[in-house]
Amino acid sequence: MNIKITHNWLLEYLETDATPVEIQKYLSLCGPSVESVEKTDDGDYVYEIEITSNRIDSASVFGIALECQAILPMFGKKAKLILNPLDKYRFADVETRHASSLQVTIKDPSLCSRFSAVVLDNVKTIPSPDFIQERLRAIGIKVINNVVDVSNYLMVSFGQPTHVFDFDKIGKHTMIMRESKKGELIVTLDGKKVELPGGDIVIEDGNGELIDLCGIMGGLNSSFTDKTKRVLLFVQTYNKQLIRRTSMLTGQRTIAATYFEKGLDEERVETTLSYGVELLKSYANAQVTSVVTDIQSKKYSPRTISFSLSEINYKIGVNIEPKQVQRILTSLGFGVQSSGSKYTVTVPSFRQYDVEIVEDIVEEIARIYGYHNLPNHLSPATYVKQPKAFEDLFVYQNKIKTYLKHIGLNEVLNYSMISLEMIEGLDLKPSDHLFLSNVMSEEIKYLRTTLLPSLIKNIKTNEGRKDQLKLFELAKVYERREGDLPEEKYKLGIAVTTSYEDLKGVVEALLQELHIQESLFTSSDNSYCSSIQTTLIIKGKTVGTLGKLKTQYKDKNNLSSECFIAELDFDTLISHARTISTYQPLHPFAIIKLDHTVTFDKKITFEMFKNRAFKKSKLLQKLDVVDRFKDKITVRMYFSSPTHNITEADAKKELQACAR
Amino acid sequence: MAGIDDIRSQFNNELKHASDLDKLQLLETSYLGRNGKINALLAEMKSKTPEERKSYGQEINELKQSLTLQITQLKTLLSTRKDQGGDVDVTLPGTVYPKGSIHLVSIAIEEISRIYEKIGFIRTSYPEVEYEFFSFESLNMPKSHAARDDFETSFIDAPVHSKWGKMLLTPHTSSGQVREMWRVGKPPIRMINIAKTYRPNWDATHTPMFFQFEGLCVDEGINITHLKGTLDHFVKEYFGSDIEGRLRPHHFQFTEPSFEVDVTCTVCKGTTKVEGAKCKVCKSGWLELGGTGMVHPNVLKAGKIDPKKYSGWAFGFGVERVIMMKYGIDDIRNYYAGDIRFLEQF
Repeated sequence: MNIKITHNWLLEYLETDATPVEIQKYLSLCGPSVESVEKTDDGDYVYEIEITSNRIDSASVFGIALECQAILPMFGKKAKLILNPLDKYRFADVETRHASSLQVTIKDPSLCSRFSAVVLDNVKTIPSPDFIQERLRAIGIKVINNVVDVSNYLMVSFGQPTHVFDFDKIGKHTMIMRESKKGELIVTLDGKKVELPGGDIVIEDGNGELIDLCGIMGGLNSSFTDKTKRVLLFVQTYNKQLIRRTSMLTGQRTIAATYFEKGLDEERVETTLSYGVELLKSYANAQVTSVVTDIQSKKYSPRTISFSLSEINYKIGVNIEPKQVQRILTSLGFGVQSSGSKYTVTVPSFRQYDVEIVEDIVEEIARIYGYHNLPNHLSPATYVKQPKAFEDLFVYQNKIKTYLKHIGLNEVLNYSMISLEMIEGLDLKPSDHLFLSNVMSEEIKYLRTTLLPSLIKNIKTNEGRKDQLKLFELAKVYERREGDLPEEKYKLGIAVTTSYEDLKGVVEALLQELHIQESLFTSSDNSYCSSIQTTLIIKGKTVGTLGKLKTQYKDKNNLSSECFIAELDFDTLISHARTISTYQPLHPFAIIKLDHTVTFDKKITFEMFKNRAFKKSKLLQKLDVVDRFKDKITVRMYFSSPTHNITEADAKKELQACAR
Repeated sequence: MAGIDDIRSQFNNELKHASDLDKLQLLETSYLGRNGKINALLAEMKSKTPEERKSYGQEINELKQSLTLQITQLKTLLSTRKDQGGDVDVTLPGTVYPKGSIHLVSIAIEEISRIYEKIGFIRTSYPEVEYEFFSFESLNMPKSHAARDDFETSFIDAPVHSKWGKMLLTPHTSSGQVREMWRVGKPPIRMINIAKTYRPNWDATHTPMFFQFEGLCVDEGINITHLKGTLDHFVKEYFGSDIEGRLRPHHFQFTEPSFEVDVTCTVCKGTTKVEGAKCKVCKSGWLELGGTGMVHPNVLKAGKIDPKKYSGWAFGFGVERVIMMKYGIDDIRNYYAGDIRFLEQF
């Protein structure tokens, strides 16, 4: 989250000679990142600062002052806290009376780790003093009136949101804090009617009305208006998970919620309420007429962490002076005790959710010392063996992608999740697919079990953009397994709009590139393809099918052109790949080439003819298709012997044997 | 038998018709070849009287020299004409070869893998569909952590595993950290894991699927300077030697300390100015690269590695992010839309 504070506001707590630009630069290197610093018309400066989720304690003017105190001296700048509100503003100093009283019941102590409230009477609603107005305006908070402004001013000062109720609108002056029931309604301050998901922290008054959606926004029915005389200043810390859940589920992402959902320091409740009373007394003429209600279900018992200096230096990689360690930790609010090189550090309450182990202390010391002051070292060289399976996977992925690119195919990457429509587009079974339970779009609900629906969609998307499309994708599919994670298998999917021959040519060329010599194409009956289809088999293992998309599916997917698709199992494919082919020794004897035209039909395919030819003739070295016309195919056959010269007559005899 | 003059005029005639180098070659052979006309004239020598022989011989010699010269001259001329001739428009395009493309992300993955391979990191592959244990518990992210809710992680509708928890689409490559620790058993670990990751976020600057690359180094004596040096090495190798890296404090559950890495803005080179105007790409001369940190002791424990003996660093960066920073291709929605006009450019 980002916060904004002003430079003058910061100077209320900090004495420094650093300029706003220096503060921006140095804080960003060693602490919270200051994304911008801009000058206002009044001559003040506004910082916009990113606060990480663990450092919500620093999301305030005071929090940044503490960071400055630790960081700026490392850059030769003076920086000293001149006002510590944690010491100055205490409940003990709030003058209380007994004229009004609030009845409080908290149904479950885990909802609220600290509950505090106080009644103030005779509130006069007028504009805030100039310094409050100027500061709030500078950081983009709308100025309303003294009471509302004080509430916002407190939040920015200490990072603790507060709420102001109209005390007389709280039925029977009674508050019952409880978890909401599903479907309960509350109208929040902004006029929105919010239907509660259930399990939200709410407050019900003595009349059974919901008056607060805690940590998110107060109810409209009990809100402060300019007619309000008696106010209830309300400062709490809540169960952070419940706040986040309610905020996300109701869509009410208020600033208060972004604070509470990160877990606030219970001790700062006291500072905030006490300072709030002081401000309302000064600027709204208010008087306290009740005691301070303070219910704390959980009290922080200070944590200590012990370590030795050498441990710290070992983890950081340089030697840091004991004096430096002492100064850094003290300036951040830690208690430090040391004897020799042994240290015991006490963690302040505002860091209780963040600093737990010695590594957290390492971080504090190292960041303030300055990461930019550490040298760069490559990690020490060592040899770790890469398993063969990983190596093959990546080497062949790259090889195959590069090869397909060079023969004119375009690689596409699709989402791993597809829509029900895409599943139905190929009549796949939805129940075979894993699907997301918190789906954000129906388009990406089901995990793919095949790459083909995505590739078909790609063809559709690109119709009219290019005459011929030749796409491939190499990605995982996810096959569900009972009681286990799905099997993640890499597939190579190809889709072209050219022809079956073209698609088969791509597959054959790839087999050649991978030096796979034992491949076989057999008849197949894949349900997405027309009768023009074949299955690739290598050494008895099925690798995948290629063929023409059935007209039925072409229509179902609204394709205007024909589509030819292939999907190969990547692991099976590469398990047969070789770096080079089997070497054939060269020989000096003649090669006789003979052309032969054959008429093929369903009963005798080219594959069968070829297999038989090689079986019948020992002299046949190679067989190519050189021409095709209707059902006639001309093959060129290469005959030779590695031991002697053969004659044309010998070759013709062989050919006859092959063709018979 | 033709005389010397006849041969000369015959030659001059035929030479006019020698329009190309092949014809000239034939002409040369028929006159100057072994069985050519000059040699035939020389054969007549024996029928001459000794007095005639001297002048006859001289004449033949002159003829031979003259023919040789003429042929050579014409040969030069024809060769020159051949090299300069023709009316080919040399500016026309040549034969078109197939040109396909590899996806931008695949290209980046190769670049990244190679950089780390050279400094001894091995690339691994781990599940994309994971259990909560590997994505969260083992990474020191308790059940209550915000990243684990429905708004930050895509969950699979599957029975909850009694030991490993809910099934999900891994929201980061860090899920591979403990798997790699288990695989190796005992440090050293030098891993680079590049994979698809998923989060329920789909708008102008986010896609529900994206790629991350994760580095993990675990060994004895690994400290912050090693993390810093290795990242600086990557930044310089990938983006260029004029690019610097820097670390800023940050927070992640699975590292302690945690950092955010910035690199010098690749557009303004850290000057914050482009042709006099303010750089539109960066804030203050730096660009955010991603998150990193020293491996949290709880993660090492989950990986069955003794955090007292070993330490390590890890980082996880977005592949699309580094592509955008290096090549300026920032319309991320095009990456996975399958538009051929986008794909074929790479």
